[in-house]
This record gives sequence, structure tokens and C-alpha cells, in this order.
Amino acid sequence: MTDLLLHNARLLDPARAFDGIGFVAIKDGVISAAGPGAVGHDLLKSAATTIDCGGACLAPGLIDMRVQTADPGTEHLEDLPTLLRAAASGGITSVVTLPNAKPVIDDASMIDSLGLRAARIGGSRLFIYGAATRNLEGVAMAELGLMTEAGAVGFANGTRTVMDSMVMRRLLSYCGMLDRPFVQHCEDHALTGAGEMNEGETSTRLGLIGAPAEAEAMIIDRDLHLVRMTGARYHIAHVSTRAAIDSIRRAKDEGLPVTADTAPPYFMLNELSVSTYDTAFKLTPPLRAEDDRLAVIDALADGTIDAIASDHVPVDGDAKAQPFGPAQPGASGIDTLLAMTLALVHRERLPMLRAMECLSLAPASILDLDGGSLGDGAAADLVMFDPDASWVVRGSDFVSTCRITPFEGLPVQGRVLTSWVAGSPAFERDMA
Amino acid sequence: MTNQRDSQQTASSGQSPGTAPAASLTSRHLLGIEGLNPLEIMGLIDRGDMFADIIRDHGRPEPPLSDILRGKTVLNLFFENSTRTRVSFELAAKHLGGSVLNINVAGSSVKKGETLLDTATTLNAMHPHILVVRHNCSGAAQLLSQHVDAAVINAGDGRHEHPTQALLDALTIKRRIGRIQGLRIAICGDVANSRVARSNIHLLSTLGAEVRLVCPPTLLPTAIDAMGVDIFTDLEEGIADVDIVMMLRLQTERMAGTETPSQREYFNLFGLDQKKLMRAAPDALIMHPGPMNRGVEIDSATADDVEKSLIRTQVEIGVAARMACLEALADKEPG
Repeated sequence: MTDLLLHNARLLDPARAFDGIGFVAIKDGVISAAGPGAVGHDLLKSAATTIDCGGACLAPGLIDMRVQTADPGTEHLEDLPTLLRAAASGGITSVVTLPNAKPVIDDASMIDSLGLRAARIGGSRLFIYGAATRNLEGVAMAELGLMTEAGAVGFANGTRTVMDSMVMRRLLSYCGMLDRPFVQHCEDHALTGAGEMNEGETSTRLGLIGAPAEAEAMIIDRDLHLVRMTGARYHIAHVSTRAAIDSIRRAKDEGLPVTADTAPPYFMLNELSVSTYDTAFKLTPPLRAEDDRLAVIDALADGTIDAIASDHVPVDGDAKAQPFGPAQPGASGIDTLLAMTLALVHRERLPMLRAMECLSLAPASILDLDGGSLGDGAAADLVMFDPDASWVVRGSDFVSTCRITPFEGLPVQGRVLTSWVAGSPAFERDMA
Repeated sequence: MTNQRDSQQTASSGQSPGTAPAASLTSRHLLGIEGLNPLEIMGLIDRGDMFADIIRDHGRPEPPLSDILRGKTVLNLFFENSTRTRVSFELAAKHLGGSVLNINVAGSSVKKGETLLDTATTLNAMHPHILVVRHNCSGAAQLLSQHVDAAVINAGDGRHEHPTQALLDALTIKRRIGRIQGLRIAICGDVANSRVARSNIHLLSTLGAEVRLVCPPTLLPTAIDAMGVDIFTDLEEGIADVDIVMMLRLQTERMAGTETPSQREYFNLFGLDQKKLMRAAPDALIMHPGPMNRGVEIDSATADDVEKSLIRTQVEIGVAARMACLEALADKEPG
């Protein structure tokens, strides 16, 4: 007996490199059968619920591997139920949150607590990065072993780079022992100083303090030496510069256990967006030069950058209603992740299957999660979407509490119709 | 060329006031020189020239000289300390018959950004006609202009622009030399932290001057050559044969501490003194937006050189230049 049968769908299965019409059968929360073409009569008859997808895309649920949660600590910016609801509405069936909450998630009990709360809320799944260092100070190692036992999928230091090379070496050694990836925000803070935007002609014209692009590659290059010393799995978050990409490409050629992600602002926008001092464009890392943006797209296409994450940061209007310098960096991203990634598909910069790989299979394999596959026995975390449905990005329409987006007013294509987590609907678009 | 200049040196003094029409601006605000076209800039300078004549002819005038701003309120909103700019705007507004309110919010709050929009909302309810704003953050004037009905004049925003300073500098040059076009002008010193430098680069190059920058590489903003300037790191080389040496204040309050090793070294390498000035054109003139760090970027003998220094004139002319700006925005419809 099949619980749910989805047929007449355009299956997008990055694990088996399949893009074509087919069906998916679900039983007890996992995929029990999937295949190309029309569904067999027996299966059709045996399903408790049958949905004719009408040719819409059906893909493994998105795994958003870089999300900041304001819960615990600043729930008014966005609480956990809202975050998970926003994720499901965006086709994201697994969210991986950073440890820079208040207090910092640097203790096993906090991982436990956050995980339990998410399980009670239901809907999209929550995975958690533990803080690499206590209170994210970059000085003392947090209890990575205990946090691993509590379920931490990896370790990160929020948006603070671990600047001390000795601390970094030890973190990588320790992560190697635990076989957990270390996720680095790569920025030489000593070089970027009080930087307010990417350094270049635009920062000079605007009189904003520039943060040089080189600060990203400098940390990556240092860390790659440490990866050679330790053999640990090293993941580079929100890659934004050509120089960084060149380093990552060489490291991969060398066979180092290195992976990387980027976020939509870095392939959709460049530093010229800052020209009006609009603080929605204040992000970390900052929006870069056009040449960097093009390099990011190429790196996504050739696999140098493995994954795409939303880099969702809940900020409120007050933190942004400031002059550019003191305004808080970050913006909402969870509502727009799929549509922005599909923009690369519509512009023929990324094949559809590669886009789906960036959003599901790649993060799953980086973090050892079940996902990215429509194969038998895979978790029935699925997203059905219309890749062509057009809409205009309006922060005010977001499910997320954070309505600040650098894509405000942008016409996009691609709309989630339904998301399933373990075979149960986590989001269904009201088509009325 | 020297003779020609001598004949023009007193071009506008001793004559009756000209009849330049009120300057006209496309924008409702004056947020920067970048984006103004040459006609708008020339219009402001010519009108300022006329106001300068009127002020001169009155000797020590009792305001008002005109009723252009009668019944209108000019609000001076200064989030950074200032004496000369604030007083200059105040006097300019009073000469035009306007009423002036000074609001000094410098140092009143660490979170200046928060104060900016809170204050803007409060002040907007008082319906001022013109808001003159200075703030330590680049882009603050533009942000404010989006939240008030009044016309906004940028009196200096962070490291971005200080348009009225550039206008008064140009007016000072024009009254002394008679033109901007074709002049060779060196802007020297702390370019990285200077809004005056950016506004002057835009204005002077728009009007056809050859602009040079002279500064240590640590105080040179990235890619500034894209603004069409020539860059020098040697003061004597940089000011060779220039008509104007424009010195900038070393803005220690905006510096992190590693830009220059010491003030002594800075003065030795980049400070202007009589000896280095010999390299400039024989009748070269010296300017400085003030306040000066004597013995850091300029020595006193050079700063006070009555033949060559225009520094005091700049302050005088500032009032006339700002009258032209206030007038140009006086009748803009509220947004």
C-alpha cells in the first residue's frame, strides 16, 4: 500500500542525473518507488492519495546550509516556527542554522534544546552547526565532541573568521577526528577593518570604507595549508570573489577535502547596487565587482562551488534604517532561494539538474545528510514547483519575518507549489 | 599667461555687482557635486559671485540684504562639530532674510544613525523649508532627503561629499584668477578621508581644470584615478608648475593610526612650506578648507602668506556661495 503517489511530474533527480517525466511513490515517509514515464496501473490503484502533478517539477527538498536564526535571543526578529514555515514555503525541507544566536550555540544542551523544539514544531527539518569556539570569540575551542554527540552537523564560527592560526589548526585537527566539516566565513578581519563595502571605484566615489576582496582569498589560502596538515574537511561559506574561487579550484585539483557554497546575492548582484546607499545591499561578505560575480557563476557551473545557500539573516527595519556605515549587514533570503537559483537556469547559465544539485545533493553530501535523491529508500522530502510561474519579489509578501531583501522589485520565475517532509505536506500553495 | 592672470586678478573687485540670475538646479536637494551638470555648477558660482560683490559693497552688512528667504526657515542640523560651515550657512540664510535654527546634535548619542532618522522625523513635523545637514556617515544627507519634505543641503557627509565647500573654493578661484578651465590644481594630503577632495575633484574636473592628487599611498583611495586625476606621492613633483595648491587637513579623527608614522614625518614629506612651494608656478595660490593643523600639513608662514594664501578669502566667500545654494533651493516644492 502506497501512502502517496505523485505522478505526471517532471522529475529532477540530481543523484541519478535524471530530468524527465515520471512518478514517485511514498510509503512511511520514504520513497518506495520512483521511475520514468507513466505510472503503472497497480501502483495507481494501490495509492491512498494520488496527485497528478500536471508536468510540474518534482525535486528533492532543498537543503539550505547557511541560515542565521534569531531564535533563541532575538525572537522578535524571527522565531523558530516562522523560520521553519518560511523555509517550507520556499521549498526548503532542511534548514541548517548557524550558532550565532543569543546565547551562542556552543554547548551540547543548546543543540539538544533547539533540535527538540524544531521537532515539536514540525514541518521542515532543522540541523545545527555548533559554535567552533566558545562564544564565537575565536580563542577557546568549544566542546565539539559533545556537540557532535548531540547532533551538530558541523562547526562554524558565525560571521567571525577564526583569525588565530594555532586555534584554527587545532579546530581542524579536532574536526578531523570527529569527521565533521568545519565551515569558515573567510575574511581577514585585520585587513577589512572597519570596511563598509567592497573596496574599489564605487567605495571611493561613495566615500565608504572599502573592504578589499583579497581578504577572502587570504584566509582560504592560509586554511588550505592547515587542511594539508590536518586532512580535515573544510567548507568555505558564501564565496564571493574570483581570487577565492581560483584558490578553491587549485585545492580541489590537488584533491584536498574542500567544499564551498555561495549565496544568490553573489551571483545576482554586484557592488554597483550600493550606489544609492540602500542598506538592503549591505551584506557580509559585501557585494563584489562584476568580474567576481561572473566568476561565481562559472564556478557554480563547473562545480568549483558545490552548493548554493540562502545566507538568510533576520534583520529588522531599525537596523537597516541607518546610514550605510552603521547599518547592520544581512538580509532575508529563505523566501527567494529557489527563484534566484532558477534565474541562473532561465538565463542558461546553469542546467536545471545542476541547479537542483547545488540546492540539495551537494549540501547533503557535504554535511552527511539524507537528501538530494529521488531513489528508493530516500527520505520523502520533496518540493514540487512551477519553474516558469512569474512573480515580483516583495519583502512585504515574505513568510519570513524579515522583509528586507536585496532583490526587492525584481521580477523572477519559479514558484513552489507543495513541499513534503517525510511524505507529509509542510507547505501547500493556496491556488485560489 | 602670467600677465593675463595679473590683469584678471582683480577681475571682479571694484566693479558693480553683476546681474547673474538665480541658479537653477534640477534636483530638489544639493547632496553632492557628482551628478550636477556644468551649467548648474556655473550658475551657482556666477550667482555666488554676484552675492560676494553685494556683500563687499555693503562693507559690514546688517542682514538681511535680500528677502529671497523671507518667511522661510533654514534648519542647520549638525551631527558633527563645525564652526565655520555652520556659521557660514547661518549668515547666508540671514542675508537672504530667512529665519535660522541651529540644532547641534554632535556627540549627543553614540548611535548617530538612530538619532539621524529620529531627529529627521521630529524636525520634519516643524516644516522647515531647507535642511542643512552635516553627519559623520557617508550617504547620511541622501538618507535624510528620503525622509523629509524639506530641500536638503549636504554640509558634509562622512568621506563622501561637501558640495558647498567645493563651490566656495571654485568661486574663490574664479574671483581671483577669473576662470577654472585650464588651471592646474594640486589637491594634497589626506584624500582618503576627505569629502572636500571628492567634491573638488568632481567640480574642478567638470569645469575643465587639470586635477592632481598628492598624498602618501596609505591615504590614497582605491581606483580614484578613475575620476580623471593624476596621482603623485612626492609633494614637490606633484605641485610642480601648478596654479593652485589645495591643502587638506589630516583627519586624525577618521584615521586608524597606521596611515602615517608620525606628524613630524608627515610634515617633512607632505607638509607645505615656503621651500616646497617654490616648485609651484611663480604666482601659485594656496588654499585650505580649514581648520588647519599648522605644522602638520602646512606651516604658518605659508598659511598666512598674504600674497599667496587664499585661506581667509575662502571663509569670506563661503557665505556668498552658500547664499547661491540656499536661493537655488528656496522655491523647490516639498516632496
